[in-house]
Amino acid sequence: MFRLLLAATALGAVLVGCAADEITAEPPVEPPADPATAEFEPRPPPIPRLTGAQYARSISAVFGDDIVVPPSPEPDVREGGLLAVGAGVSTLSPRGVENFERAAYAIAGQVLDTERRARHLPCDAAEVDRSCVEAFVAIHGRRLWRRPLTPDEVVAIADLANAAGETLGDAVGGLEFGLAALLQSPNFLFRREVGEPDPEDTSRRRFTDYEMASRLSFLLWNVTPDDALLDAAEAGELTTDAGLRAHAERMYADPRAREGVLRIFVEWLGLDDLDALNKDTAVFTAMSPEVGPAARAETIAVIEDLVFTRDADFRGFITARETFVDRKLAALYGVRAPARDGFARVELPPESGRRGFLGQVSFLALNSHPTSTSATLRGKFVREKLLCQIVPPPPSGVDTSIPEPSGTTRTLRERVAEHLTNPACKGCHVLTDNIGLAFETFDGLGVARTTDNGAPIDPTGDLDGLRFADADGLADLIAADPGFGFCVARHVFRYGTGTLDESDQETLVQTLADRFAADGHRFGGLLFDFILSPAFREAGAIEEGA
Amino acid sequence: MADILHRPRLSRRGFLRGVLGGAAVSIALPWLETLAGKQALAQGSFPTRFGLFFWGNGMRPDAWVPTGEGSGDAWQLSELLQPLAPVKDRISVVSGTALKVPNSIPHHAGTAGVLTGMPLWVKSHEDQTMNGPTIDQAIAAEIGGETRFRSLEVALYPNRHIISFNGPDNANPPETSPAALFERLFGPEFRAPGEESAVDPKLALRRSVLDAVAGDIDRFQRGLSVADRARLDQHLTGVRELERRIQRLEADPPQLDACSRPVAPDSEFEYVDGRPPLPEKSRVMTDLAVMALACDQSRVFSYQVNSPVQNLLLAGSDQGFHNLTHDEPEPQPQVRRIVTEIMAQYAYMVQRLSEVEEGDGSLLDHMALLATSDISYGRIHSLDEFPIVIAGSANGRLKTGVHYRSPFAENTSKVMLTLQRACGLNAGSWGAEGGYVEDGLGAIEA
Repeated sequence: MFRLLLAATALGAVLVGCAADEITAEPPVEPPADPATAEFEPRPPPIPRLTGAQYARSISAVFGDDIVVPPSPEPDVREGGLLAVGAGVSTLSPRGVENFERAAYAIAGQVLDTERRARHLPCDAAEVDRSCVEAFVAIHGRRLWRRPLTPDEVVAIADLANAAGETLGDAVGGLEFGLAALLQSPNFLFRREVGEPDPEDTSRRRFTDYEMASRLSFLLWNVTPDDALLDAAEAGELTTDAGLRAHAERMYADPRAREGVLRIFVEWLGLDDLDALNKDTAVFTAMSPEVGPAARAETIAVIEDLVFTRDADFRGFITARETFVDRKLAALYGVRAPARDGFARVELPPESGRRGFLGQVSFLALNSHPTSTSATLRGKFVREKLLCQIVPPPPSGVDTSIPEPSGTTRTLRERVAEHLTNPACKGCHVLTDNIGLAFETFDGLGVARTTDNGAPIDPTGDLDGLRFADADGLADLIAADPGFGFCVARHVFRYGTGTLDESDQETLVQTLADRFAADGHRFGGLLFDFILSPAFREAGAIEEGA
Repeated sequence: MADILHRPRLSRRGFLRGVLGGAAVSIALPWLETLAGKQALAQGSFPTRFGLFFWGNGMRPDAWVPTGEGSGDAWQLSELLQPLAPVKDRISVVSGTALKVPNSIPHHAGTAGVLTGMPLWVKSHEDQTMNGPTIDQAIAAEIGGETRFRSLEVALYPNRHIISFNGPDNANPPETSPAALFERLFGPEFRAPGEESAVDPKLALRRSVLDAVAGDIDRFQRGLSVADRARLDQHLTGVRELERRIQRLEADPPQLDACSRPVAPDSEFEYVDGRPPLPEKSRVMTDLAVMALACDQSRVFSYQVNSPVQNLLLAGSDQGFHNLTHDEPEPQPQVRRIVTEIMAQYAYMVQRLSEVEEGDGSLLDHMALLATSDISYGRIHSLDEFPIVIAGSANGRLKTGVHYRSPFAENTSKVMLTLQRACGLNAGSWGAEGGYVEDGLGAIEA
């Protein structure tokens, strides 16, 4: 077991200083351990702030889709590329507090306007008395705060609402202030999931039933829990293996899981950046404001098909020749356009060289410059995001310039030759550029090409000693690399725990990755293994400190 | 390209017309200063204000450093500083200083070094944050308490790398939309001097809700870690500030001559064909920020043109700005043009501030406006020969019209300490480790 771990650590290796020349894979060992019983030392849990999407989706879930939620009161923060991790360190600036206050009154005003109030009041609008106010606070407070309010909490907010109602001479108008208090409270804006002693082993801490409801709901639906889940928490079902699995299965089968689970991929792959894709339209004539969002939709459609529709081997994300295109992308890829508006499944011809995610505009355009490609950015993405290796930033005080195209150096490969031979640059640039140059057959937007500045493109290279002829061949090598499966597992762990895994937690991540591989790389299986593992259910003790 | 060099000096009426976007509006200006405003203002003295004008990706020292030293005609503006010619006597240039912090992550180490005086906190190769407050917030903590907004953060086209921090992972996100900035500053809550005041009873109710939220925060943070309690403390600070801000709305607005309600901007200045209309947006955002100061809505602001490493494709460029700083062949005409354009926006801001009359002088006389970047020479990510320009005399505490060239690469933190003292802070030191200083830069102190 120990030897296996060492090998695994080498695979998910940190390429410190880019000195590693070659990484060798150990043969897999079977059968894989069950993550549910894996050795795991939990860390103190983060206290995440709701992301902009979670805030808006929770309001819609509790009060209906017709409520207009003001856009992102406070920007989200990324850590390790993930909002789910950044949420655990992000704060609220004074401007954010101000924006959340404004949003709270805008929402409360809509919830209690003359059209909608009947839907949300537990009594007749003409008879809003004290008991009605308290019931209103208790019912909506439970959804928003993801737990029942204490009697004191209900009374405090009902007092506010009553006082406001008297000042204004309008009891329903007063309720708006009570609702605004619920919405601005840290009990709504921050997720306080700190655990309790596990009754079966008081030396360990587990997340409480209500905390599990919140964790499950944000992981699978990216939204505050529904009443069914809170009822299950009240009944103590979410701290049992069977209850947890049953509710996770119910939620995973629900259409809302598509939005929630797909968020993992959006954050891992940085797809949000496609909404603001910035390209020179003079250089890239196919560029238009629709391209970025269309590319994002393509990538999401491919993953949804793989994960939810077909529950297929996730390595198909890298190797599939099938994809989904709308008319814009069909023109860009040179394939037949769908007969109707929207996206349709197409088979990309093998001679196109376009294959899997690395053949999509999402990858090719995001990891390029506004007027040109970038072998370094593309190679860095493959190393860091798909294989979970680290490529350090360039040292300071170094001239990193790439020469302009000239008569003798026309292609990017010729122009970056200095980076691949100069000892100061070579260590890292060999790692990135040898991979990135394979994608030179696609321009900075992702349109196929055969020449660069008039010279033929050489897309050959090697991935840590394994030769490939072009991007098509490289896709096979990446999909076969154990680092890819490990990297998927690591991102599920990071997203689901809201923390970056530390070295001593890599055991559990590797166990998840081993099962993922043994199970045919089915993403749903990996996700369930994670949910039932201690990483999702156990809390480390919090050191309060001074 | 901004035509700042040929812009005639505007009268106050002209200034207001500019803010109003050329709309034909006649404004009754209260020509006589009434003495009903803030105490400091009523006493005929004006509070010192601080502004930070920041751009990403540096400059070229060979085209930046002025020739000659000293004051008056003893020195001449460099190529990149040419747009400042109309205001040369209102600015000081400090050249030859250096950041003394480790250049751990190119660009971001420099942002931290110049704005906090401390090394960047490198958590991992992709996650870094500041170790302490940035200079705008250090100053706001002292002088920001009396106005509606403790500080204002404005940015034109930033990416995730923003510049104003209260502490680690504790950023102040900037307003980037002209409409949102206008709404926040001059929306329905704002009352211009002399406007009818009827106190809305809802203001007091909002304060009582915030008070309840503050109680929630107190209970919520019990039992949490030190780091999480600090995050909740920041939430609490924001809530308490908002309560005070509402309280101020319940009082009468200060009677300030130059303050009037501008009209809303009519464009969001979105990208056109992949290119941001930067000068146009900058002028509109500057006009709003200057009017916010003229109305004493805030005494501290930061203004971020672009972000470090950001690759904006600017007008007339064939690559993004960051790429150009590294890859454009010598003598880098595009980089020179872009930095000159950015300095033209700085010059526009200086000019606008100098046109706001306050007492016998102008708003510019009562403030310090620092212009700086994350690095000096972009091609090699240098932290030597750091770009520093300061406009305004901070109520007579700073020299203007000076070029000071450090003879021995003094610590840039000395400039930052001087600026804090000029803004009235009783600061004994600034920065940490290599960036730590206890002495200011006497050469620019009046």
